[in-house]
This record gives sequence, structure tokens and C-alpha cells, in this order.
Amino acid sequence: MSNVTTASSEAKWWGGGKSPFNVEYGKVMMWYFLMSDAFTFGAFLISYGTVRFSTNGWPDPNKVFKSFPFAPEGVNAPLVFVSIMTFILIVSSVTMVLAVHAGKMMDKKGVVRNMIWTIIGGIAFLSCQAWEWNHLHHEGAWWGVNPFINADGTASSTNFTNFFFTITGFHGFHVFSGVVINIVMLIMTLMNKFEERGHYLMIEKAGLYWHFVDLVWVFVFTCFYLL
Amino acid sequence: MSNHDSHSAEHHHDAIAEIKKVTIILSVLTIVELILGFWMIGITSEGMRLAIKGVIVILMMAKAFYIVAYFMHLKHEIKNFIMTVIVPLALFIWFIIAFLSDGNSFRNLRNTYDPHFKEQSTIKVEEKHHGATHEATEKHEAGAAEKHEATEKHEAAH
Amino acid sequence: MSHEATLHGHDSHGHDDHGHHEHHDTFLTKYVFSQDHKMIAKQFLITGMVWAVLGGLMSVLFRLQLGYPDASFPWLESILGKWAKGGQITPEAYYALVTTHGTVLVFFVLTAGLSGTFANFLIPLQVGARDMASPFMNMLSYWFFLAASVVMLSSMFVETGPFSGGWTAYPPLSALGDASPGSKTGMDLWIIAMALFVVSSLLGGLNYIATILNMRTKGMSMTRLPLTIWALFFTAVLGVLSFPVLLSGFILLIFDRNFGTSFYLSDIFVNGVGALSNEGGSAILYQHLFWFLGHPEVYIILLPAMGMVSEIMSINSRKPIFGYMAMLGSLFAIAVLAFLVWAHHMFVTGLNPFLGSIFVLLTLLIAVPSAIKVFNWLTTLWRGNIRFTPAMLFAIGFVSLFISGGLTGIWLGNAALDIHLHDTYFVIAHFHIVMGVASMFGMFAGVYHWFPKMYGRYLNNSLGYIHFWVTMAGAYLIFWPMHYEGLAGMPRRYFDFSIWESFKQFAELNRFISTVSMIVFAVQILFLINFFYSIFKGRKVTTQNPWEANTLEWTTPINPGHGNWPGEIPEVHRWAYDYGKDGKDFIPQDVPVGADESSSH
Repeated sequence: MSNVTTASSEAKWWGGGKSPFNVEYGKVMMWYFLMSDAFTFGAFLISYGTVRFSTNGWPDPNKVFKSFPFAPEGVNAPLVFVSIMTFILIVSSVTMVLAVHAGKMMDKKGVVRNMIWTIIGGIAFLSCQAWEWNHLHHEGAWWGVNPFINADGTASSTNFTNFFFTITGFHGFHVFSGVVINIVMLIMTLMNKFEERGHYLMIEKAGLYWHFVDLVWVFVFTCFYLL
Repeated sequence: MSNHDSHSAEHHHDAIAEIKKVTIILSVLTIVELILGFWMIGITSEGMRLAIKGVIVILMMAKAFYIVAYFMHLKHEIKNFIMTVIVPLALFIWFIIAFLSDGNSFRNLRNTYDPHFKEQSTIKVEEKHHGATHEATEKHEAGAAEKHEATEKHEAAH
Repeated sequence: MSHEATLHGHDSHGHDDHGHHEHHDTFLTKYVFSQDHKMIAKQFLITGMVWAVLGGLMSVLFRLQLGYPDASFPWLESILGKWAKGGQITPEAYYALVTTHGTVLVFFVLTAGLSGTFANFLIPLQVGARDMASPFMNMLSYWFFLAASVVMLSSMFVETGPFSGGWTAYPPLSALGDASPGSKTGMDLWIIAMALFVVSSLLGGLNYIATILNMRTKGMSMTRLPLTIWALFFTAVLGVLSFPVLLSGFILLIFDRNFGTSFYLSDIFVNGVGALSNEGGSAILYQHLFWFLGHPEVYIILLPAMGMVSEIMSINSRKPIFGYMAMLGSLFAIAVLAFLVWAHHMFVTGLNPFLGSIFVLLTLLIAVPSAIKVFNWLTTLWRGNIRFTPAMLFAIGFVSLFISGGLTGIWLGNAALDIHLHDTYFVIAHFHIVMGVASMFGMFAGVYHWFPKMYGRYLNNSLGYIHFWVTMAGAYLIFWPMHYEGLAGMPRRYFDFSIWESFKQFAELNRFISTVSMIVFAVQILFLINFFYSIFKGRKVTTQNPWEANTLEWTTPINPGHGNWPGEIPEVHRWAYDYGKDGKDFIPQDVPVGADESSSH
């Protein structure tokens, strides 16, 4: 385009005709979708906080989440299992970054290897969550039922379990859809779709989603297990 | 494109180094959080617990920053794009303050004007044991029935 | 680098693929599963019109009850059946009508019908893009909206009736199936419809934002965008950030309804059922979550109208818009404040009074950007060479309504006054004038103005003038008296006022309001006749730029195909408001700046 005029010289940092952010539109959309999703999770966690603030007592997470798979009954291991879950998610996030990076280098083998690790990480996390839910259910906890008592020994409302299952469930649903997306991306990589397109932008977008899932877990983990 | 390739080896090493660095930072932050969490179990002083919780929240924000800035690559985007993401997130500040403070005020109101609510939060109960789903439900129904009776009595008295 | 390649790839794809294949379209791909933003806009508009007629009809029906509480209309029984036993609307039906009227008008007409139509139609045309960033998602956005419409419509035909607990769906009426007939299946369908609607508005909003930010033509910097685009941009941002919060609130509501949780429920006794076991929840929490969306929603409705009014007013005054940057700043300020003031809807719920006082302060701050906008509109009109087209009349009407409705907002924003005025007809008058009718006026202005671009024909002017004057007078005659009723304490959502000694005096007034509302409704039918007649038989547009406007949509052919410009997309050299500059009546945006042109206006 040769029609440079006086008008375009006064344009400051962007003259039009290409993305002003040097970002492909799909990535822009993914970012803003994640923003809106952040408000969904934010609303859940803030609701949880609001109800907790409007109640006199609340169960002690260290007494609720203290068991470990294959450990004997009545084992007292607070925070151990959930820290393993947290590390699984962080490691899968790292492999995802490596996959995105390999994609930028047009290194198909690297993408495939790291995507497989990410998917394994996601499935491992979901398995851990399934075990924990199952365990809590056996202890009598579910939506609308709360067998645990408050830290100060008084009766607890059901909102402890209500929020726990709703929010971790919603996060688990995101992990699940992330795993599905990653599997689709892996298949597309193996079918050479991205090699043909000449770029691995789809992997980057899937990566953004996956990191967001990890990010949400940072908040969920802190709000339910530590605070 | 050729320009891109000639720098790619160098860029590759930088990027890998950055990923390694951020991984270590995230792990350390998580471990510190966990240590604080374990430490808090033995502490009974409310003020101290609150202080530790504050530190944990700050560490949480730090973790979030590293994930967004480096893993999600936001730090390397154009500044205006960063702003379009960061500015709306500032809405969370008032979102959180208003909701939580109103929750707190709701508790104070109920403690002041609802004797039943206040009384319920002073009665100690026994912890239930495994396989308590049915018991819990029954207990709940029993509670409801009790309340029902109480309401009926209340109405009869009028 | 690879990014740029993809962008240009998309561009040329749009050109090659869509430029000349009009005749390959079947009826299905052209009118039904269309991915052309202009067709999707028309789909939104016509679906919105269907809902507007239904919603308006509902208001006529419940106004009939309020105006003539003792009369009996046998024909009502023949259309409503058991909901109007003996020719009189039952209380359940009345509440269902009020609820559905609110939901439909707020979400389906003034959100989807207004911003869905004009964001889809105007964004690509005015920023200079072949289509939306993702035409496919754009199509999905309409189809989710249609699915929501179908579900909402079906809720009107279930045995227990549609939801009847008010458009805000506060628990416990919305959370307990036993609370009222409408809280059963009607509420389930209501919530499904609304969830689909949220998905639709997210898909649309993400697309609008990505298009405005990423797809502008060469030279179209952000400060050269027409104000319509800026308004639609902030509208989309508001939607993308606030609808998710509503979705969270609804998810918790669904759990309360179906899975025995008590997020919103505590200490409840239901007649005939007994005390419920729910404990520890907070109904106020729902109201916070709802209004965190609900207040931005008001601006989602209003901002597109503001943007279109700014544009139409500048064109028809033959003057640049006064204070372009101030208009931008006030749009931004309104968008930010929209998120900070939600609890002013909740002053009497038991909200912490101290917190309430902060909300009062933030609420009153909205008056500042609103006043800036009003003064800028008035100054744009000042000494303008005004062309009183129907579009222009509706734009001026918008400003009038925005002023009179906005001023009562200052009353209601004060917590102390709100204790008296809350839930009275004063509130109804306020939000109908400032949000409902004003935005409808913005929508009418938009339709009259861009109809030639949409269909290549003009709407009939004489019918347009009748439409405007009757609607304008009617709007004030309906809602102005309601202020007095509200000040006298007359509460909203009551079925029959004739049984209260204090409100008997308003029987005459209520009958008057009802009569006017029927006349106004009839005139809207006249508009519809004009609309559909003109699509096929209206006077043909013969020039490319009938309003002599500057923006890019008037550089396209009279009936643009998919891809909008047959050749290259024009490059932009100036802002959109060069009217009456250097002795020229108007200079379109794609005209290069001349050597001897003065630098500023």
C-alpha cells in the first residue's frame, strides 16, 4: 500500500490495516473470554467469601481435608494430598508452556511430547479430584449435607460443602474441557494441521486456556484449603 | 521471516531459561504457602492467624502474577494490550470489598436482632463419623420438623 | 510476523471468497444460516421486533387490569383461557405478565434487539472491515439468542404458567418451586432461556470487541472511530464482564432449586409444606450478584442508543459533534461507574447503611458524565442547520427523555429518599423514561437512519412523523403521572389498587394511563407496517450517501454484498465529524486531507 499521506504520519503508535496489538484476533478473543470467565469464578469465590463472612463459624479445612489415598483410616495428613494436586497442575502448566514454545520454534516433536505430558497431568489432576470427592462423599458430605462441624465446635451450615462442591466442581469442569481441548490439539498436531498452516497459534490459545485453569486453581486452593 | 530464524537460537535459550526460572519461583511460593499453612494449624491466636492468612493471600497474588505475566506471556505483549486486560480486573477491588463487607454486616445484624441465630452459633455439637450421610439427612429433617413445631406453637400462641 | 501473515490472510480471504459469489447462495445460507454480519443484524432486529410486540402486548394486557380493575372482558378469556377466568386477568397471570414483560423488554428487545442489531450492522461497516472477526461465532450468537427466545416463549405455554416472581427473579420466589405456580416449570425454563441468552451475549460481545480492536481499516485509529462504535465497544465490554456474574448467580440458584443447597435460603416457612431445612444462606447475596449484572445492564441498554444519537445528531445538524473527546471520556466514565453502583437498587434490603452511603456517592457521580453528554448534544444542535428527519426527531426525543428520566435518578440515588420511593410507581416512571423509552427512541432513530443501508429503500416519512409525535407525547403522558402516584406511595406490582382507600383517588388517572398506552401501542403497529411495507415497496435509494454523512458505511454500494466493499477497503484519513469545515458541507472519512485544509475545525 503506497498511499501514505500526511494523515497517517500523525497516527501515533498504530496506523491501521493490521492488528494494533500485533496479536491475532483469536488470541484477543481468548484473552477477553478468559477475562469474562475470571468474573464467573470471581463471583463464585466472592459469594463464598460473603457467606463465610455472614456466618459465625466455619469448619477447619485442616480437619476436613486430612486424608490420603491408600493411607490407613483416621490418618491425619492435612494439606498433603492437595499440595500434590497443586504441584501436578503447576507441572502440567510448565509442560504447556514448553509445548507453546516448541510450537513457536515449529518443532512438531516438541509440541507432541509436551502436549502428551500436559494431558497426562490434567488427567492425573482430575483423578485426584475424583478420589477426593469420592472420599468426602463417603464421609457423608455432598450438596445439601455437611457432616463436618465448625472449628469452634458448633453446628455448621451446609454452605461449606455446597460451595466446596460447586466451585471445585466448576473448576474440575474447566480442567476436563481443557483436557479435551488439549487432546484435540494433539490430534491436530499429529495430523500436521499446524505444519500446513505454518503456525501453531491454536496451541497458544489452548495454552492460554490451560494456564487460566491453573490460575483459578491457585485461588481455589488458597480459599478452600489454606484460609 | 529470515530475520526471525537467525535470532531464534538465542531467543530459544532465553525463553527456556525464563520458563525454568518461573517454575522454580512458583514452586518456592507454593512451598512457602504450605509451610505457613502447616504452621497455622498449631496457632490459636486470632490476630496471628489473620496475619498469616494475609501473607498467604499476598503469596497467592504473586503466584497469579507469575502465571499471567510469564506463562500466559502477557508481559511480552504490547503495553496497550496489557492495559486492556489489567484495567477491567481492577473492578474486582470494589467487587470484593463491597460484597465481603456487606456479608460481615449481615452477620452483625443477625447477631444483634436474631436471637435464634446467635443461640445456634453457641451450641456445641458432637462431630459425626464416617458413613453419616443418612444420619445427617435424618438429623436435618428432624431439625426441620422441630422448627415446624416451634413455628406452629408460635402461631398458636397468637 | 507470522501474526501479520494471518491477518492479511484473513483479509484477502474475505475479499476473494465473498466478493462475487452472491448468486451461489441458497435461501438457507443467505437468510437462515447466514454468516454475513448485515443479515445477522437483520435477524436480530426482526426477532427483537417480534419480542417487542409480544412484550408490548403484555403491558397492554396488564394495563387493562390496572385501568379497569372491575370490568370484565370476555374476549380475554377466549385468548388467555384459565388465566382470565370470567374475562378478568387472574393475579397469577398478572404477575406472570409483569415478569415476562420486564424480562423480554430488558434482555430480548433492548439488549439483543438493540445492541445485537446495531453492533452487528454498524461495527464492520463503520470500522472498515469485511465482516466480524469471527463470522461463525457471530452466527452462533444469533442462534443462541433464538434458542433462548424459543425456550422463553415455550415457558408461556406450560400448565403452571411462566415465571411470575418479577424480572429480577429474587429468591425465595425463584429458588423454591413451592413458592408460587410460576416458580415451578416456568422458572426452570426462564433460567434456561436466560443462560442461553448469556452465552449469546458473550459470543456476540467477544466478537464486537475483537473486531473493533483488531479489524479496523488502515488509518482508522481509535480516536477516529465514530461515537457509535465507541458506545458499542463499551457496551460489549460491559456485557462481557457483567453477564458472567449473573451466570454464577444463576448456577447457584439452580443448585438451590434442584440439589438441596441453601446459598440463598435461610429460615423459610412455606404454607402447606412447613419449615424448610435450609440454613445459612443469604437472599441478599443473590441481589448483589444480580445487580452486579443488573446495573451495567442498564448501560448495556442505554449506551448504544447514546452512540447512535450522537452520530445522527451530528449528521443532521450538519455540525461536528461537540466535544468528541469529552464524549469518549464520559462514555468511559459511565462504563466504569456502571460497575461500582449496583447496590443502589438494594437500599432497603438490609444493606449495611454505611456501605449504602458510599453507593449513594458513587451513584450521584454518574450525573457528571451524563450531564457532559447532554450538554454536548445540546451544543451540537446549537445553531446547527438542522434537518428534521424522523431519525433526527427520535434522536432529539431521546435527549429529552434522557434528561427528564435522568433527573429523577438523582432522587432515587439518595438512600434517604429511596426509602420512601423504593418499589413505588416513581421507580417505574424513572426507569421506563430513562432506560426503556429513551433506548427505544435510540433504536427507532437507528432504524430510521440506517434503513436505507439495510434494505436499499427509505421508510415512509409521513408515517415516521406520526409515529414520532404520538410516541413522544404518549411516553410522557403515560409515565409522567406515575411520578405523582409514586410520591403518594403507590407500590409497584400490585394487582388491584381499587381496594385501597389511599389509592382509590388514582382510579381515573390509571384509566387515562391505560388508554394512552393502548394508543401508543397501536402507533407502534403503524411503524411495523411502515417497516415491512418499505422493505418491499419503499422509495428506492438512488445515491450512495443519502444523508450526506461521513462514515464509511456510506462508501459501500447501495446494496452491499457479503464483504461490504467490492474493491479494496477504503483508507481513512480523518475523523468522522468533518461537517461544515472549510466551507464544505461534509468531508467523508476516506477523503485525503487536502494541502490547503485547515488543521483543526
